[in-house]
Amino acid sequence: MGIRFKNVTHEYPSYSKKTYKAIQGINLNIGTDDEYIALIGHTGSGKSTLAKHMNALIFPTLGEVEIFGNNIKSKRDKNINYNNIRKRVGLVFQFPEYQLFEETVEKDIMFGPMNFKKSEEEAKKLALEAIHLVGLDETYLKRNPFNLSGGEKKRVSIAGILAIDPEILVLDEPTSGLDPEGKQTLMDLFSDIHKKTGKSIIIITHDMDLVYRYFKRVVVMKDGRISFDGTPDELFKSDIIEENHLDLPNTIKVLSYIKDKFNLDINIYQKIAEEAVQEINRVMEYE
Amino acid sequence: MNSIIIGQYIPGKGFFYKLDPRTKILSILFLMISVFLLENITQLAIAIGIAIIILIIGKISILKVLKGLKPIFVLLIFTFIFQVALNSEGAILSSALLHFNIFSVLTSIVIFIIWRLLLQIGKFKILLFFIFVLALYFNFRYLSIGQEFYSFRLTIYEKGVEMSIFVVLRLLIIITLTTILTLTTKPTDLTQGMESLMHPLKKIGFNSEDFALIISISLRYIPTIFDEAQKIMAAQASRGADFSEGKLKDKMKQIISLLVPMFIIAFIRSEELADAMESRNFVPGEKRTRINILRFSMIDVYSAVFITLCFIGTILLRVMT
Repeated sequence: MGIRFKNVTHEYPSYSKKTYKAIQGINLNIGTDDEYIALIGHTGSGKSTLAKHMNALIFPTLGEVEIFGNNIKSKRDKNINYNNIRKRVGLVFQFPEYQLFEETVEKDIMFGPMNFKKSEEEAKKLALEAIHLVGLDETYLKRNPFNLSGGEKKRVSIAGILAIDPEILVLDEPTSGLDPEGKQTLMDLFSDIHKKTGKSIIIITHDMDLVYRYFKRVVVMKDGRISFDGTPDELFKSDIIEENHLDLPNTIKVLSYIKDKFNLDINIYQKIAEEAVQEINRVMEYE
Repeated sequence: MNSIIIGQYIPGKGFFYKLDPRTKILSILFLMISVFLLENITQLAIAIGIAIIILIIGKISILKVLKGLKPIFVLLIFTFIFQVALNSEGAILSSALLHFNIFSVLTSIVIFIIWRLLLQIGKFKILLFFIFVLALYFNFRYLSIGQEFYSFRLTIYEKGVEMSIFVVLRLLIIITLTTILTLTTKPTDLTQGMESLMHPLKKIGFNSEDFALIISISLRYIPTIFDEAQKIMAAQASRGADFSEGKLKDKMKQIISLLVPMFIIAFIRSEELADAMESRNFVPGEKRTRINILRFSMIDVYSAVFITLCFIGTILLRVMT
């Protein structure tokens, strides 16, 4: 089950040429168990378009997307309840704070579950669980969402999607606009959720440090096609990085420089700063 | 969805694109008054002839103008029918008794269903509509079987047909004139033209500059607001807000989930824009210079002369007949 892209192409109508191919020939499988995928690519490579197919917000022009057994094709199928798909695949857009609209945080988080026909009591329970899941306490529930700080708003809006309890979670650049500490807090949150619930999580990001540090699987997009699907280590050890206009994580870059400059036998593939420092110390002890 | 083009400005070359917007606005105004001064179909026909010649000189695609008329096609049909039905002067052209009985009503429903089914083909929609109307007419005219519960005499008078053609033609000319205006003038130029023309109103306290600024800013943000509405709808749809189905109460909630964020973003943006403008020393009410100054050229003079002649001509026609 899960999500399967079968030779998917999506064209947007445009003025200059007849249509613009945002993604083409996409073949991709996403399971429901334990996946933790980073979706990366240069600007305009089609990441957001790909993400929008995952919860049937948009349909493929060619090919089909199979989501939990439902075959999504370019024509609308009366037998498929597209809204139900959004209950199983939760999509969080960039700057989700802008979707807040209710009088209290609790009501806003309850919006999702109640749209999917949960009763008010059930929705309240789900809201309570969700607010804890994002690291905030119950006192937030009765507050006005517009009186929260930017970071708190972000968490509340993510809670809004978590309360729906989707099996697959897709997030489009959730850490954009945050400082390094904010980024880490949020990414630790997602790792936490992933470990606690075992849900599959797909995150679109530009941040190579995050990719290296947190993810098991990386899908790279270039000009609308998938150019790599594998582990971050495989990715950074190959030449694909340059071909795809991507950057290396800072740890690798710094260690590479030190390795070349001082001619040391360093293993440059360290995921976080602390490990990099340990590696440098280890090598220095030999010298 | 593509961004909406207000008034459907399409860039191009030619005579109309080179005119000062003020000339165009005033010309269209006087031409519209002239058209309303005309009294019979012959005069209107001459006016249309002149209009077509001008369109050809100005290298405006008549096709594009006709496309712009599509939305009000239904309005034209209704106007025509209204005039024909209500006017009762002159010689009788046709008098038909329409029979409303169980059979004719049933067959009319069948005709309706057939029409809707045929529409699924997608083509010939207008033609199918006319066939539908004709079919209904023959149906009620000739199917007089059984107990009649209502009968209606549909009389078409000569004057009725004449008036309806007249009214429809006049409507066509007016709409063509305004289409030419919006087709060949950028919204910002149009605003600038109106601002300049309304400048004298400053004396009675109406500041045309502020008014024009409000319009320009609104126009500029229409595509932006449209994109944002799409984003918010996508976000709320991902939370299960199905904008197409649901009871009334649910639909209200969904609309609110779209409107509240839009308003908030609009207010945030207004404040930011105001700050940005003030940082660049914008003070409302103070005199400002422009980067694009509207200038008249010889083309404007020729046009003004031509329009004035047309206007005087129609007044004379009216006075002398």
